[in-house]
Amino acid sequence: MISTVLNTEIGATRGASPLRKHKSISIGFCLLACLLILGALLVPGFVSPQNARSILLLAAFLGLASVGQTLCALVGALDLSIPYIIGGANILLPSLMVAGLPAPVAMIVVLLLGILVGACNGALSFRLQGQALIMSLGLGFAAVGAVQIYTSLGSQFGGTVFAPVPGWLRNLSAFNGKFFGLPFPPVIVIWAFIAVALGWIMHNTWFGRSLYAVGGSRTAAARLGISEFKIWTVIHSVSGAMSATTGMLLLGFSGGGFVGVGDPYLFTTVAAVVIGGTSLLGGAGGYGATVLGVLVLTVLTSLLVGLGLNFPAQQAVVGLLIVPMVAIYARSPHIRNQI
Amino acid sequence: MMSATAFRQVTQDRSLFVPAGLFLVLLCAVAFRGQGLFTNNGLAGAILVATPLILTTLAITPIVMAGRGAVDLSVGPLMGFVNVTLITWLVGNGITHPVAIIAWAVGLGAAFQLVQALVIIYVRVAPIIVTLSGFLVLSGVNLMVMSRPGGVAPDWMLSWGAGTSVFSPVLLLLLGAFAIWGVLRGTMFYRNLRMTGADERMAYTSGVQVDVVRIIAHMVGGVFAGLAALSYTALISSGDPTQGSTYTLQAVTALVLGGASLSGGRGGALGSTLGAINMFLISYLLSTFNFGTVSGFVTQMAFGLILVGSLLVNVFVISRRTVA
Repeated sequence: MISTVLNTEIGATRGASPLRKHKSISIGFCLLACLLILGALLVPGFVSPQNARSILLLAAFLGLASVGQTLCALVGALDLSIPYIIGGANILLPSLMVAGLPAPVAMIVVLLLGILVGACNGALSFRLQGQALIMSLGLGFAAVGAVQIYTSLGSQFGGTVFAPVPGWLRNLSAFNGKFFGLPFPPVIVIWAFIAVALGWIMHNTWFGRSLYAVGGSRTAAARLGISEFKIWTVIHSVSGAMSATTGMLLLGFSGGGFVGVGDPYLFTTVAAVVIGGTSLLGGAGGYGATVLGVLVLTVLTSLLVGLGLNFPAQQAVVGLLIVPMVAIYARSPHIRNQI
Repeated sequence: MMSATAFRQVTQDRSLFVPAGLFLVLLCAVAFRGQGLFTNNGLAGAILVATPLILTTLAITPIVMAGRGAVDLSVGPLMGFVNVTLITWLVGNGITHPVAIIAWAVGLGAAFQLVQALVIIYVRVAPIIVTLSGFLVLSGVNLMVMSRPGGVAPDWMLSWGAGTSVFSPVLLLLLGAFAIWGVLRGTMFYRNLRMTGADERMAYTSGVQVDVVRIIAHMVGGVFAGLAALSYTALISSGDPTQGSTYTLQAVTALVLGGASLSGGRGGALGSTLGAINMFLISYLLSTFNFGTVSGFVTQMAFGLILVGSLLVNVFVISRRTVA
């Protein structure tokens, strides 16, 4: 699965810098392999179906949340509304179901709202690109605040929603979920499908090509007749949709709505994009690289948990490792070579 | 005299129109809703509560001004790091002398920022990635130094947090920070900083030592972060390892509310201070309304909407300038 995505993206950025692209991908694979070998040697039970399943499950959530972040990074933006849309969707869905909407209708409503917030985000931040990150943060605050006001009116549990989660949603993303009788939760398959589809879209469609063109050079893209505004709005809408989806799927994982569930995704999505090797300044990288980044990050965390580190220590170690990992393949040239 | 300078700056610098206008509107609204702010106690409390945010915002101001999209995400956890080490390592071991405490806070802030600047310059990784990793490391380390909020501030600092007089040591910290900025404004460094932020390549080719400028900008930011940690410690009179990410987001928000551009070159102490004060006034104003159980959410939503609104107004103000 990964290799298909990677191949398509290597093709997509062929014009940009093929050498660097291959380099970052192969280093990513080496890093992943090293971590797996280290895990197998140091942690008993690291190489087991259970552990693989839990790594893939956690990676799937992070991977879905990182789709939007990757697309935004490709044009040089950052979407900070992701955790808030995840949290908002996570409490809005059960609350809509309690209000009497059938589950599929409620899910579509949440998805559409996610897209709407994303589209606003893109349309409003287009003119102030340097500030896009703060615009998305502001809209995220506004959206999650509105959802919380809606869900807590007439209830004394602000921030938490109690509602029965339908069995099929729980099966979709719970640890012991089954995919047509096979022993892994379907959310992993959903992630794989989206990754492959995205890889294909980025390589084979006008939209995917335009995205790289805008990220590479705005002026050149404008000369080609690519509407930068349209690209900008569409990727932010995709980001909103994926965040809402992640929020809903996390409901099946945890079994109850909690608005803080998205918080860890604020910085981990950025970290996954960066570790994968997608430049935050735009133009180079792709979702395949992010898939690698997500896997590296999840395997690393699982390794640190296996070694008995608590959460603060894990965070510190991951933080310490980001700079050297990125430094291997994403060093910018010295300023005298940039002129 | 100071207000005269400030006034001249506002009339000259268009990016200050929005924060200054918002400030006046909020001030009128507060005068209407909650006059409690204008009493001696109210003002003293306001200074005490607003100072950590003002100083944190000042801490990221020079770093953002230096350009390259260098939003310093690590500033909140850095302030938390100074706070928890102060309480656990210094006060915990009986070191409570004011000079030692202040030197530790300022020195630690500057030292950490020096390391970050050196990594950014010599390892040549994008600033936002370096500060993201600084954010993660310090958030983790803070919880390792102190697993939950606790401890007590040194005795001489305990009275700072009482908030009974306008002329408190916390106000002195704030004025001290402004004085440092005022001195910097007159130096060659400040001009080079603005040039580097506006166009790094041009600055480099015209002989500005951009690396040195960047290092100094970070260290100045570190000094302000240290001062912010002191005022924060005074505010809560103890240590708290958990507030890092909150302060980072608030400081970046205040910076942008103050008219600075995250892409560099634009911004200054006055704007950042106005931005931080505006954020304080917004939450103060909202607290005078009674929204019952949803008040926290209303505040969050209002923050978001005001942020979006002021960014949009900024766009029109700035685009008018480019047309003219």
